[in-house]
Amino acid sequence: MERERFLAAVAANVTAGVLPAPPPITTGPPSLPDVDLIETFCTRLGVIGGHAHRCAIGEAVRQILDLLGEHAATAVLAWDDLPVPRLASLLQESGVELLASSMPADRGERAAHLGGYLGLAAGLTGADAGLAESGSVVLSHGPGRPRLASLAPEVHIALLPASRIVRSLAHFLAADPVVVARTANLVVITGPSRTADIEQRLTIGVHGPRHIHVVVLDDA
Amino acid sequence: MVSEPRSRVTQRVPTAPVDPKTTPVTFLGRAKLDLGSDKVAAVEDGARRLYRHRAEAVAEYPAMEEMRARARAGRMSALRNLDRLLARFADQVEATGGKVWWAGDAAEANAIVTRIAADAGAGLVAKSKSMVTEETELNHALEAAGIEVVETDLGEFIVQLGNDRPSHLIAPVLHTTRYDVARLFADRLGVAYTDVPEELNDIARTHLRRVFLSADVGVSGVNIGIADTGTVILVTNEGNGRFVTSAPRVHIAMMGMERLVETVDEAAAVLEVLARSGTGQRLSVYTTMLTGPRRPGDPDGPDELHVVILDNGRSRVLGSNVAEVLACIRCGACLNVCPVYRRVGGHSYGSVYGGPVGAVLTPALEGPEQWADLPYASTLCGACREVCPVGIDLPGLLLASRANTALRGGLEPGLRRAVRAYAAVAARPRAWGLALAAAGQTARLLPGKGWIESLPWYGSAWTDSRHLPRPAARSFRQRWKERRSGA
Repeated sequence: MERERFLAAVAANVTAGVLPAPPPITTGPPSLPDVDLIETFCTRLGVIGGHAHRCAIGEAVRQILDLLGEHAATAVLAWDDLPVPRLASLLQESGVELLASSMPADRGERAAHLGGYLGLAAGLTGADAGLAESGSVVLSHGPGRPRLASLAPEVHIALLPASRIVRSLAHFLAADPVVVARTANLVVITGPSRTADIEQRLTIGVHGPRHIHVVVLDDA
Repeated sequence: MVSEPRSRVTQRVPTAPVDPKTTPVTFLGRAKLDLGSDKVAAVEDGARRLYRHRAEAVAEYPAMEEMRARARAGRMSALRNLDRLLARFADQVEATGGKVWWAGDAAEANAIVTRIAADAGAGLVAKSKSMVTEETELNHALEAAGIEVVETDLGEFIVQLGNDRPSHLIAPVLHTTRYDVARLFADRLGVAYTDVPEELNDIARTHLRRVFLSADVGVSGVNIGIADTGTVILVTNEGNGRFVTSAPRVHIAMMGMERLVETVDEAAAVLEVLARSGTGQRLSVYTTMLTGPRRPGDPDGPDELHVVILDNGRSRVLGSNVAEVLACIRCGACLNVCPVYRRVGGHSYGSVYGGPVGAVLTPALEGPEQWADLPYASTLCGACREVCPVGIDLPGLLLASRANTALRGGLEPGLRRAVRAYAAVAARPRAWGLALAAAGQTARLLPGKGWIESLPWYGSAWTDSRHLPRPAARSFRQRWKERRSGA
């Protein structure tokens, strides 16, 4: 159908219907009580089955290697853009294999490339923000920041500088609404992939990672 | 749903799937099929659990009322300005490299999706959970064109395998037990029987992972569209919404035209109330905000994004006395709290949208002729309005829907006579008093105490499916008179 015809049908009805007047409202961040942002973030992430690990930036490599060891992961799909200096080379020196992340444009090559994600053990990403209220991490994707790094592997490790933790999703979006449009894909991740479709019983790890570890970097 | 009949399998599925051709045409007829069954017991159980989770989440979030008001305001103002917002949304989607398609009805929307998929050379389409594509029965259209389509939400995957239908907005297989799923997987996927939910989950994970990674096209719905930015928001717990928008080369999002808000701020308000009201989570696991296809330099994501905007009766609803129902954000809270939904389950409503919101939406979208009895599938207790995250006056809309049917002369003759008789008596105080006294005397003659469970003749039209409160032996007015005179 033509856009103009479609919109004309909407316009013809938009003033005719019975709609209550919208209540007067405020905009911007909602009023929530002050909390310790880092502590609340870590607690709430734990409640939904994620794991928070606080550490100094200098200890980050050790922490990541420990987590990879815990999950017996030797290969990692990692972002190029990570908030720890020289992280990629330090991991490689420790024997971790870093996987190429860029999807080929060619259809056949693309299929072969995607096949490589089938047994992927771990993904390593940064995070644009942490949300204390819900224990979430916000990831904006773009060059050097593949979407699949936080989705395809069994384990997702996110590196989050503590200074980036804000109160809630509404606070994050109110502070910088345009963040949504600056990337083709922004995701808010709240715990490990889950479902309750079978008898409303909580089951972890449906399509996304079964484990999410957020390394909270002390950058104060 | 699938076009190919899979009767051999469905016969082995204990909760008999609904066949539209043999389904009764009335709500009562459909409800009687399931009343008291295991299927409905499972629904009641699940709905209660979701209701409790919601209550806890709402109680612990101090800004709930503030965000409800903001979500409501955002949705109402979007509906009031929908033509302007749709134009802006479409401009923004196209400015970010997406393509917008306009579909007047379900057939047109399905044809558009099928053509895009065929042009993309798609042999396999991976689909994430979406109510609007249930509404248009997209899977039938794709399969008729020789394109395989696989539902990737665990619940919808179970529905598709069993040739069943979803019975809840956000929990499609609320009516199914794990034993049903166990038999279904063993039959259809050739795996060893297991009824352990975790193992069933792993079977689906392995099976669907290959689908995600080999599909040429991903199809999703849209939870929220933001007009200001041309952003499409998808909310899922499992990650299927992320996979179908990250791995396949083409992403098609079908959106009911009323899904919009104007600003990012309004979208935030809707997101803050959506998961809390639906499952009792603070946020669903994955909230994905998509603005255009993959950009230059992006390592992954679809090369093409198509947004198919669907009317299919919505503009007519927008111009009607039940326009407010279009503000619904599909959280399912009104289903979980509804005493009727809990007793009869989602299939009794006969359409993809069940519960109180479905009882308003279905007749509004499809015309009241076929659905005249749906607005009566309610006790008007008002619990749905209490829990609605955008404050939709569902009892008011149910009454308006009933009035719409009555004004078109759509009442069945028996009911019309009964209502006329009632009106004649109720409008005359003397007649009313006499009638009450007579009813009180008659009630004494009926056996038992408490609720009246069966009445003869015309009265059976009521007591066939409901109980009737026993009229008091003496009316309120009688007792008031006695009290005032000190008797």
